[in-house]
Amino acid sequence: MARQRRKAEAPAADLPMTPMIDVVFQLLIYFLVTIQPRDVLAHLDVFRPSPDQRQQEQQEKPKMIRILVFPDGFTINERPVDAAELDRLLTRLASIDRNQTILITCTAASPHEKLVRVLDLCAKNKLVNLSVVSTY
Amino acid sequence: MAARRKSDEEMTVNMTPMIDVVFQLIIFFVTTVDMENKALDTKIRLAMSPHGPAVEKKDPRTIMVDVDHKGRISIARVGMSADVLRQVLRKAVADYGPTIPLVIRGDGKTPHEDIKSVMDAAAAAGLWKVKFVAVKEKA
Repeated sequence: MARQRRKAEAPAADLPMTPMIDVVFQLLIYFLVTIQPRDVLAHLDVFRPSPDQRQQEQQEKPKMIRILVFPDGFTINERPVDAAELDRLLTRLASIDRNQTILITCTAASPHEKLVRVLDLCAKNKLVNLSVVSTY
Repeated sequence: MAARRKSDEEMTVNMTPMIDVVFQLIIFFVTTVDMENKALDTKIRLAMSPHGPAVEKKDPRTIMVDVDHKGRISIARVGMSADVLRQVLRKAVADYGPTIPLVIRGDGKTPHEDIKSVMDAAAAAGLWKVKFVAVKEKA
């Protein structure tokens, strides 16, 4: 008796769910197949020396670490190193002072990935004062 | 008995409008979510940076400058010369001030001098927040 009354009151209850679930599954499968996972991106912050010459001179402290980026390698304080060696030196440096200013000079011909490599190594060792300069 | 009747009444909630609304929401989000990606140059192969800091909250004023492997500069797939870029950045600085972050999406193979011309344009416009984009994790 009670059951019959409920049926009469609720026409929405016999809404056919099956086709809708079919459609939703189709949509779900479509999106799962077509989705392209995005690469996780990193943003590498750098400082640029201001065009103001005075400040640039002030930055030229002798204790500053200079990294030069060449198309075929790196030098740190005039000493040629490879990436692994650079990483080791930066790790040692970071254990002394993380706020040490690092002046990265990039030659015009070196590919951008080399510079990114150095910035990545600095980020790995949590060095934050990175200044990027370019040579002609 | 009274409690039973109450639960019976709850069973009769009309699902149709709710499903309609949910579908509308799904369609809205599906169509709007990837708008930003369409503005990026997909030919750029970014350099890898497995240790770099992941992109956290993004400033909505960020200017993305793409530099492809031949050194061609573009913003939102609109190619431009370094001079035009400088004017664009000047205009942006005049409108929003010099604290706008400039994000450079440089191809890994781009010679540094082309990246440098973008950074010089930024310096000429007075922008000092410069970032490079790199791939932290390949999907």
